[in-house]
This record gives sequence, C-alpha cells and structure tokens, in this order.
Amino acid sequence: MMDLAKPDQFDLDRLAEELGALPHAPLAMPLQTLEPAPREGLFSALLRARPRRMGKAGS
Amino acid sequence: MGATAAPLRRVYATRTLTLTASLLAAGLGFVVFLQFGASDGFDAFDVLRAALIFASTFWLAWGAFTALAGLTTRPPAVPRDPGPLRAMTAILVPAYNEDPVATFARIAAMEASLRATGHGDRFHFAILSDTRNDEVAARERIWFLRLLADTHGEGRIFYRRRTSNKGRKAGNIEDFIKRAGGAYTYAIILDADSLMEGATMVEMVRRMEAAPDLGLLQTLPKVIRARSRFGRIMQFAGGFYSPVFARGLAMMQGRTGPFWGHNAIVRMRAFAESCGLPELSGKPPFGGHILSHDYVEAALLARAGWTVRVDDDLQGSYEEAPENIIDHAKRDRRWCQGNLQHSRLLLAPGLKAWSRFVFLQGILAYIAPVFWLAFLAASIAAPLFAPPIDYFPIEYWPFPVLPVSQVSKALALAVGIGGLLFLPKLLILLDAALRGRARGFGGGLRALQSTLTELLFSSLTAPIFLMFQTRSVLQVLRGADGGWPAQSRGDGTLSFRDAWAASHWIVTTGGVVLVMAQWLSPELVLWLMPVALPMVLAPLLISWSSRPSRSLLFTTETEITPAPVMRLHDAILARWDESLEDRNAA
Repeated sequence: MMDLAKPDQFDLDRLAEELGALPHAPLAMPLQTLEPAPREGLFSALLRARPRRMGKAGS
Repeated sequence: MGATAAPLRRVYATRTLTLTASLLAAGLGFVVFLQFGASDGFDAFDVLRAALIFASTFWLAWGAFTALAGLTTRPPAVPRDPGPLRAMTAILVPAYNEDPVATFARIAAMEASLRATGHGDRFHFAILSDTRNDEVAARERIWFLRLLADTHGEGRIFYRRRTSNKGRKAGNIEDFIKRAGGAYTYAIILDADSLMEGATMVEMVRRMEAAPDLGLLQTLPKVIRARSRFGRIMQFAGGFYSPVFARGLAMMQGRTGPFWGHNAIVRMRAFAESCGLPELSGKPPFGGHILSHDYVEAALLARAGWTVRVDDDLQGSYEEAPENIIDHAKRDRRWCQGNLQHSRLLLAPGLKAWSRFVFLQGILAYIAPVFWLAFLAASIAAPLFAPPIDYFPIEYWPFPVLPVSQVSKALALAVGIGGLLFLPKLLILLDAALRGRARGFGGGLRALQSTLTELLFSSLTAPIFLMFQTRSVLQVLRGADGGWPAQSRGDGTLSFRDAWAASHWIVTTGGVVLVMAQWLSPELVLWLMPVALPMVLAPLLISWSSRPSRSLLFTTETEITPAPVMRLHDAILARWDESLEDRNAA
C-alpha cells in the first residue's frame, strides 16, 4: 500500500516497478491432466441399479 | 538417459536389490515378531502388530539400503559443454514475507559470484514476490533499488509482486513463465534462503547444454549458517550423511530423478510444456492447489519424456534450515500435507512407475510414524485381548507344557531395527574416515564424536518427531488445511515456556503411555522408556536444542572454510547493515 503521507515513497514504488519490470516474452503453460477422467465403476453402477420397469400385464 | 545416468540395467538391478532387501528385512521382522507375539497364545492383535512392524521396518530398511547402495559407487564423470555460454538463464527467487535485506544480499552475492566467472551477462535474476505483508513489500521495493544501485543490475535484475498469490510457489513460478519465460532457455529455481556459487550455476547450464533430453537437474544443497544446537546437528547430518543417501538415490533414479523445489535448473520449454499444474478437485487438504508441487513437476517432466536427474557431485549449492524443533515441525506439517495429497496422484494417467513409487515413498515417510505409534498402543493393549495360556495343549498328556520365553526374539528384533537405524550412519562414518572426507568435518575423531552424539540426539528426539508427524497426519486425515505459513528464519531460540506451549500435549501423551503400560503391561515399561521418557522431557529437549551452539562438535566444511559466495554474502550484509545504521543515526 502506498502511504500518501510520504510522497517520496510514491516515487520509489513507481521506480521499483518500472526498473523491475520483467521482459515481455510470454510462454504458454498448458494445464496437465493429473486426475483420471471420472468413469463409472462397477460399485457405483451397482448402487444405481434399479429393477427394470415392466409393463403391466395386458397393457 | 541423461549423460551421467547409469545404464538402465544397473538402475533396475539397484532398484530390485534395494526393494528385495527391504522386503526381506520387513518380512523377517514380521516373522520374528509373530513368533514372539504368539508365545503367550496367538490372537488377532499379534497379526496386527506384526503387520505394523512389517510396514515400519520396510520404511527403515529402504532408507538403510539406499545408503548402503550409495556407499558402493562414486559420482560418475559428467559430460558438459565447454564452449561459450549462449543460452540465457533466469534465476528465480520466490519470496514470501521474507526479510528483504538478507534475501537481496544473497542475490547480490550470487550476482557478484557469477560476474567473477565471466558469464554474468548470460544470467538474469527475477525476484518473484508473493509477499502479503504491505510493510515487508514496501521494504522489498526499497531494497530492490538498493540492490540495483549496488550491482548496476538494471535490465538484469527484475522485481515483481503478484497481487494474488494463487497457486502459491508453483503459481508464482508459473506466472513468471507465462509473462517472461520465452526470453530464457533455462531457469534456476531457488528459495529465498538459497545461495549458489556462480561457477556452480555456470556448470549446471553446461550440463544442460550437453544433454538435450535433460529437463531438470537437481543439486544437493548443503545446509549452512546454522547457529543453534538443533540447527548445527541437522547441518552436520545433512552435510555428512546426505551425499551418500543422495548417491544411493541417484543410482536408482534412472530417467526419473527428484525435484526438491529449489537449487535446481530446468529447461524452460520442457517445464512450461509439461508442468502446468491444475487444481485438484475437492477441497484442501486433499484437493485444491498441489502443495508439494516439486515431486509432481518431476513426475510430469518424466511423463513427457524428459530426463530428471540429481547430480550429487555438484558442489556450491546451499540453503538454510530451521533452527529449532518447532520450526522444523511446522515445515514438516506442510510437507506432510503435500505428501499425503499425492495419494490423489498415485493413479494419475501416464506417470512412470518409479514416479508413482516416489509418491508412495513420500506417503510412507509420514505414515510410518503412525504405524510405530499404533504398534506401541497395540502392544500396551495386547494383554487385554490375549487368550489365557493353555498349559495342557496336548490331549491326554498329563504334564503341563510351560510356554518358552521368547524375549530373545524381541531382543533380536530390537537389535535388528537399531541396526537399520544406526548401521548406515556408522558405515558412512567409516567411509568418510577412509576416503578423507572426514577432514571437512574436523577430522576422523571429531567426526566420530559428532556422529555418536548425533545418533544419541536423533534417538532422543525421534519420539518427539513421531508425535508431531502423527499429529500432522491425523490433522490432514480429518481435513484440516495447514495453510501456507511463512518460514521462520533467524535466531530461533525458544524459552522453556514457548517449548512447553508447543509440546505439553506430548508430555501428557508420554505420561499416559507410561501409566497405561504400568497398569496393563508392567513388563513393557522398561521397553517403552526410550520412547516415553523423551516425550515427557520434550519441552526441555526442544528448548535446550534451540539455544546457540558453541561446541566444536558438528563442525562442517563451510564452518571451517566458508564458501566464497558465503563470504561475499557476509561482506554485502555488513555493508548494507552499516549504511542502515548510518541512516538511522542521521
């Protein structure tokens, strides 16, 4: 935070920012895949299993 | 593989031998304990305790056999590019609420050291501030200008402060790469307390140039500038034992060596293409930002086909370390969370088998103390569940069969485990004496005294670390996020009151262990003394070991002859302190 009561610090901050500026040379850094894509396992398939709906006799 | 790495066949042979020997030692521990436990009747508790012995012994044996492997070879000769340096290298110094005077003085020292090599113009420094404290940040800016003025470093030394410290240190590095990474072929990643000789940095670049498939080269940093008893003991242990352990590790690494987060050089393009870390699904501690990013980055580089290597022969790489047990435990809490979080990555797609094993090792390093503690608790409680002794186990046999004492088995087990703990260190001592390495530690006799005292100290403090690590594991398992506390640096002396405040729960636990043992298994009390007594004395040990050390014991090479870059750092600090005093006086 700049202290407005100390204007000299204002200049120091700006100076540090200007002199410290990194060279502009962007490089892409794509995100890597670390977690396997969610896949339904046998256990969750069993949990979600429901009896097959049967039509009423005669309908 | 990288130019210096051992042929793959030797790597696989070393891995197989070390793994087999560790499994055999653990299996032997399992069987011997089962025989001992079954002496008063066989029950499920015996199997549980034997299984805990198996897991704990495996971990100890793994460390011991890694050291033994390290004693069998010397670092190989290393190909290097001797030509003129063409590549540009960025030296990244992440800072997080650090003292800018000490940190920037290190940069000034490294800059001067680099200039002395004649290759200073091939290296830029980037101070990557993640400081949250505005007062510290204001001082950073002032001292940055001082650093520029002192080194004439305009255009070679940069400073930027992030408005948000997303992704912590890994995010800090990533932010640099996304803004400025394209300007550099290599990046040397440091910590705020890292110090490296200019010649070492030049050598690292030469080795990278000589091996186009090398994605990351890790050095083995030596701990320097320790002042307290604890700090100096750790400094000695690091300097004396670690090179041998690192050699063993280097023999097993193949193309998948380690990254310890700092004092390493990366090939910028490889790192950028392979190491963009996603947030893990879910909340911390297991989800969110990857805390121990370095291990993951090493695994990702290897996954992308790059070689990751530790060159244990590289000298001139330094770091500082915590001065007391509490600061050590705080840092360890963070590492514990980071390593346990790796359990989420064990099945990450495409990783090399060795990278998965490294994750497993890291997890085991923190779980093993819990196994030891569980073993102690199960041993104390075992008599409650033991079946009554059957004096007439043979039908129609009129005479009682008295159980044979199996104390010798327990003693053999204790000796075996003690051997795994002590033997590698004693062999390292012998090796150092024979090869003349002990001279750097005050000579053979001084090294012997230091080693024996270190063994005593590490035995006394092991139960305290066991308790801190167990607490860390339990905190992580119950979902507590340790956050990202700034590193405590500096004097580190702790009063008894501070030590008590941080460890009274260990004292209580030690007391409870003794009382329970006396009540349930009085014959165990003596066996438990080496564990319970240090726990009861924890505040004393913590406070005593945090005091300044003036002993001739634990002398290290850099205490006898400070490295040139250390002398430069001292001179710069003295000059800056002097000008600070002058300004304060004015």
